[in-house]
Amino acid sequence: MVISPVHYIAVPLLAAFLIPLLSKFIHKELARIVPGIVFLYSIFISITLMLQIGDKGIISEVIAGWQAPWGINLVFSPFSGFLASLMSIIGFLIWLYSYNFKKIDKEQSQKYHILQMMMVTGAIGIVLTGDIFNLFVFMEITAITAYSLTSFYRERDGAEAGFKYLLIGSFASVLILLAIMILYTQLGTLNMAEIAQKSHLIPTSLKTTIIVLFLVGFGIEAEMFPLNGWAPDAYSQSPGPIGAAFAGIVVKAGVYALVRVIFTLFDIHGAYDFLIYGGLITMIIAETSALAQTNLKRMLAYSSIGQMGFVLMAFGIGTHQAIVGALFLMFNHAIIKSLLFMSGSYLTYNSLTKQISALSGLGKKLPLVSILFGIGAFAIVGLPPFSGFWSKLYVLSAAADKNMLLLIMTILAVSIVEIIYYFRVVSTLYYGKQNPEIEIQKPSINAMVSMIALGITILVVGVYPDVITNLLENAATALTDKATYIQSVLTQNLPIN
Amino acid sequence: MYNLELQNNLITTSVYGSAIALILIGLYAVLVKKNLIKIVIGLSIIDAGIHLLFVAIGYIKGFTAPIFSPGSENLANKMVDPVPQALVLTAIVIGFATTAVALSLVIRLYKHHNTARIDQIKSLKW
Amino acid sequence: MRKVFVIILLILVGYFLTNTFSLITFGENRIGNTSEEKNVAAYYLNNTKEKTSVANVVTAIVVNYRGFDTLGEVTVLFLATTGLGSILFRRKEDEDQIERISKPSSSLVQTGSRILFPLIALLGIYVFIHGHLTPGGGFQGGAIIATGFLLMLISYKNFKAGHTMLIWVESLAGITFVTIGLWGLLTSGSFLENTLPGGELNNLISGGIIPIIYIAVGFKVAAELTGVLDILLNIKPKK
Repeated sequence: MVISPVHYIAVPLLAAFLIPLLSKFIHKELARIVPGIVFLYSIFISITLMLQIGDKGIISEVIAGWQAPWGINLVFSPFSGFLASLMSIIGFLIWLYSYNFKKIDKEQSQKYHILQMMMVTGAIGIVLTGDIFNLFVFMEITAITAYSLTSFYRERDGAEAGFKYLLIGSFASVLILLAIMILYTQLGTLNMAEIAQKSHLIPTSLKTTIIVLFLVGFGIEAEMFPLNGWAPDAYSQSPGPIGAAFAGIVVKAGVYALVRVIFTLFDIHGAYDFLIYGGLITMIIAETSALAQTNLKRMLAYSSIGQMGFVLMAFGIGTHQAIVGALFLMFNHAIIKSLLFMSGSYLTYNSLTKQISALSGLGKKLPLVSILFGIGAFAIVGLPPFSGFWSKLYVLSAAADKNMLLLIMTILAVSIVEIIYYFRVVSTLYYGKQNPEIEIQKPSINAMVSMIALGITILVVGVYPDVITNLLENAATALTDKATYIQSVLTQNLPIN
Repeated sequence: MYNLELQNNLITTSVYGSAIALILIGLYAVLVKKNLIKIVIGLSIIDAGIHLLFVAIGYIKGFTAPIFSPGSENLANKMVDPVPQALVLTAIVIGFATTAVALSLVIRLYKHHNTARIDQIKSLKW
Repeated sequence: MRKVFVIILLILVGYFLTNTFSLITFGENRIGNTSEEKNVAAYYLNNTKEKTSVANVVTAIVVNYRGFDTLGEVTVLFLATTGLGSILFRRKEDEDQIERISKPSSSLVQTGSRILFPLIALLGIYVFIHGHLTPGGGFQGGAIIATGFLLMLISYKNFKAGHTMLIWVESLAGITFVTIGLWGLLTSGSFLENTLPGGELNNLISGGIIPIIYIAVGFKVAAELTGVLDILLNIKPKK
């Protein structure tokens, strides 16, 4: 069988439907093993397809044999392919980390693994699809799994966080549905390439409405201020690996949708400013809130929101270099935040409360986990020689090229705030008083492997950023090159009205 | 002539108006009501309004349903837009799934706090 | 005070919606002449009869042109059931500690629902088997069957929906859907491609894979909705 983008969706779906049967009638363990195999297969598809598009450009696959505007299509461009590959890899590492996570009940682990696998699949569907309504469907797949996983633990306030997330999430989906509806009445199509081609035909007043609805709707998923009320609770109440999945996968899909709407569907410049200001406000408010947090996971959550603000702002600058920087930030945020959540949840697991002060002295009891957390902390604030340094440099120099002095000042000021609160955690880890009563639960080998893999990636990318910049350059070009996107999706000539 | 126009206006107002009214009623319930079950009902009402709007935009005056049943095989030019109907089907199912998850969360919140009133459940900041 | 804000907000939202939809005339023909195929709707109306041999254009769109959406939608339902199971999870040993919240019904209701149940199931099956010919289809038929189960669940306190059976139906129907899709990918190079001959318009056996998929969807939706109802009803701990 020829490898094609639809395997990303079809294989996990087949596995998800098979797992209940397999685990009931063959062996219980299969429910935990099969998702791992599926993720490995996704990584294999990513590698094959990324090598293929190296010389072919964009792969556009039609579903059910109907050419582009008539049916649904999947688009594997350097941009969406980069994100899909990143999500598969992070998804695999999260699976590996949570394979025998102690806090997940044995009887419930089947449901956990199905939901986690489908969350990643939904996010991959969002970045691959070329149809706006199909994007909505995949967003709902991600959302429903996210609500369930947020309230996964019974002993916490998960249900409350999940309900809050659900309320805000349904609000987002209503807005997106309204936007799709108005768009459909104006253009009579749902294919994103055709919308991009014809979007100038929409009357201005309706166009503004559509864009605002889309921005607010996807902004909720991308944790944009003031629509991110769900995020801190969802991050802090969900299981540790799911916090990593939110930061590394779900939010990335939201940013993708936001960026796709602004850059490809409606190429208007007002929206760029919207991204800059929205991102800037998000960043400032989130980072200052992070400073005030005493709970480690809430702090990481606010830091994650701040980083997403940074990403949106970098996209808003709009030059090629800034977009490369934004993609680099997304990549870094995915790996670093995953590492921070993974190691952080072992740290909080081994302390009496989830407060930062309770972590004191764990650096000596859990040396490797603490070092990995430290690597993550140094990387995310952008210290050399870690990978976070390069992405910040890219964005700063792009801003300098456009003479955005105020922006640079803010980024630097916010970085100082970041340094303060991350160093506070790291110094508590190493210089705090040890609490002798605590019995240490060592992380399992598979969890260590996945954390070490992330740590090594951070170091390698930090020392040799060239391993990734080539991919990022291609991805940035693919994002801004609207004409090629339209051309490769709409191969046949359409009647123009 | 005047009557026809009035009739058209009336139909437009009643279809769009009722859909928009449903959305507003649902929104009111979500924002004002304190009972979690009522909030979930509010969400479903908003969904219903959106679905009604969605079907309404596909309607074409005087046209028939998009089914080629015996006797209407050649009416392709006289059929309403089938796409919104197909999309609404998807949207309804998704709305159902969200409602089911919401209700299960309400059940758990009720078990946990022994109340379904949102102002008495405040372990997290709202 | 809060109410005043909410009412101001509602007025704003209402104004915004009326303003927007006053620009979209109700009942206007936006498809144009179908044979010109200027938009997707025109293409579907113009081609469905010849290319898919399905009488109901909405079914053709739901199952074939936009079949991928339907697969996603079925997955959303599946995930809702799974998520419900995980949110309202209870351990095996607590399983027999629970009972259904319902008062015992009178024998009149019980007998009535016993007579009605097969008829409701039959109607549901009729609706999803004829999904490609009449208004109806897998989702509608599945929902009808689930109402039959709901009737049984609320009138008989000890009625069990049969978890093993639900898992079988749910999984097999889902697997059928994806396998048909993969079969199309293998033989014709496109996921979910209609590989079977179309047959004659308005015959029960027509439309290639479309009725097969819709029947699978019908079973899956029926099983999933029943599962959801069963989980939501069985929540009361025994005293």
